[in-house]
Amino acid sequence: MSEKPLILVVDDDPDLVESVCMKLENKNYRTAKAYDGVEAWEKIKEERPTMLILDVMMPNKNGYQLCDEIKKDKAYSNITVLLLTAVGDAVTSTNYTHYDGINTLADDFIPKPIDMDKLMEIVSDYMAD
Amino acid sequence: MIDQNKMDCTGSVSVAGSVRTGNTVFSDISVLVIDDEKRIRNACLNMLAQDGFSADQAENVETGLNLLIERHYDIILLDLMMPGISGLEALVKIRALHPDTVVIVITGYATLEHSIEAMKNGAFDFISKPFAPNDLRAVLTKAVEFLQTIQDMANERSRVRAVINHLADGVLAADLNNCIALANPAFLKLIGYKGDNVIGKPVEAVIELESIRRMMSDSCVVSGNDPGDLTREVRVESTNTCLRVRCIPFRDRPGRMLGVVTVVNDITSLKMMDQLKSHYVHMVSHEIRSPLNSVLMQMKVLTDGLAGELTEKQEDIIHRATEKLKGLANLSTELLDLSKIESGSVCREKDIIDIPELLLEEVNFYLPKAQEKNLVLSLAQLPPLPRIPANRMGIEEVVSNLITNAINYTPEGGKIEVNADADEAYLHIRVTDNGLGIPEHDREHIFERFYRVKNKETRYIIGTGLGLAIVKSIVQAHEGSIQLESVEGQGSSFTVILPIASSSESISLPMQPPSGNTGL
Repeated sequence: MSEKPLILVVDDDPDLVESVCMKLENKNYRTAKAYDGVEAWEKIKEERPTMLILDVMMPNKNGYQLCDEIKKDKAYSNITVLLLTAVGDAVTSTNYTHYDGINTLADDFIPKPIDMDKLMEIVSDYMAD
Repeated sequence: MIDQNKMDCTGSVSVAGSVRTGNTVFSDISVLVIDDEKRIRNACLNMLAQDGFSADQAENVETGLNLLIERHYDIILLDLMMPGISGLEALVKIRALHPDTVVIVITGYATLEHSIEAMKNGAFDFISKPFAPNDLRAVLTKAVEFLQTIQDMANERSRVRAVINHLADGVLAADLNNCIALANPAFLKLIGYKGDNVIGKPVEAVIELESIRRMMSDSCVVSGNDPGDLTREVRVESTNTCLRVRCIPFRDRPGRMLGVVTVVNDITSLKMMDQLKSHYVHMVSHEIRSPLNSVLMQMKVLTDGLAGELTEKQEDIIHRATEKLKGLANLSTELLDLSKIESGSVCREKDIIDIPELLLEEVNFYLPKAQEKNLVLSLAQLPPLPRIPANRMGIEEVVSNLITNAINYTPEGGKIEVNADADEAYLHIRVTDNGLGIPEHDREHIFERFYRVKNKETRYIIGTGLGLAIVKSIVQAHEGSIQLESVEGQGSSFTVILPIASSSESISLPMQPPSGNTGL
């Protein structure tokens, strides 16, 4: 069995990051933590995660910006990005139109408040691909 | 010449004085008698003194004019036929000196020509010799009435001016040439004008804001008979205020346009409160919901045993704490929904729900809280009730809000009873307490958002003032209503009335999880 995949969890609430990481580690993933957009970029370059669980509302650089920068950078665009946010009705194949009218290139979204079990399902679905 | 007999009958009570409000009125009215005949002067002064006027005399025009330079008289009795300067000439001079003095001319031979000439030159009235005191009184009474009318108008004008000048709202009147006829200090302050006298100045020299000037001209050119009443909100950058500007064209009696009255209110604080409200809702959405959800996830980590095995007791406690936290998280979600519910844009999906079961759950949930405060919270023996189409979370919130309020506003040792019954069309849920009650003047506001009863008893009760606003919105979303009965000091009873059959067709549709349409 190859090395366990690494998931970077980014949210400005350390308790939320901690809880999600504990759950992920319990499911046999490796985790890394970041608490704002800028810090997340550094971690991405350092640790090369397979997946990003990314909050939208954060100081320094919000989730939308970070997500778009990742997806537009060929070196990192293959990272799966799950956005922690709410979505509107118009969901196209890869672009989600959010309530605030912003389109993102995220792979999927997790509505807040997070249903932990559902999050684990989504994570494992993407990891299986 | 004067009829001696007539002038002699002066013993009677003053007619003029008795008709009016007594002699005291006339003591304020000054009269100057200018006549070359001493007899007539004396006779007049006699009568005037008797009726309480303050009177002076002059035996010729020169003396009279000298007196007039020194002081003002309300009424002048002027003989037209005098040696030296004629009465007619004097009349012109008097009018020039004191335009508001009433001049009554005394004509010698009852010559109509002289009288007409005098009236043309501005005399108020004439009296012809010989005259009786009552003839003089009649003429004077008319003059006094005239003076009082003028005085009333002046008083009224100054009263109106005082009112306008002290209004907190700005008022400006402009004529058809776009010149300012009136502007109160509030108006000038609100538009940020710092110059001095503005009366008579063109509007554009005073009002910098093009938007207001455009409204003024727009309101003038409204077609047809429609009053061109215009109301708009205008932002003033220089003073950082928001104004509500209303332009009202005004007309004279035949309907000719005379100009535009512009009324300005400062609505900056209203706007700020609106912003504050948005800010508050945003704060709730992020600052309260996010940590709550984060705590819920920590609870999940614990119940999943990721932080070590839990004893049964620990699991039970965490489970109950989690339920409460979920309730709080839901409440904050509902807060965000409130505006949507109020706007009617949210069509809430309904389930067929069992009210007794729901009431029992709510009562049990709040029992510990009631017991903490030594209150008896009970569910009455319920009659059989039909299941009704309703949004479960909504009704839970309604009942939970009413019970929470009852607990908060009932002093220790009180009683709270939850009851329900039904008639053919409606189901009633009643929450009754024997607590503080709601003062009468608060009752009509109690369902307004952010409204809280504020007095000595409620000072230490914590709340947002949103509970009953949410209740009312939810009840209305169910096409129901809510009634309040209360006696201050004795308690309150809230009755929620819900229709048993819903006109809505969404009964069997599953409810959306709250997370699906909120978040962020």
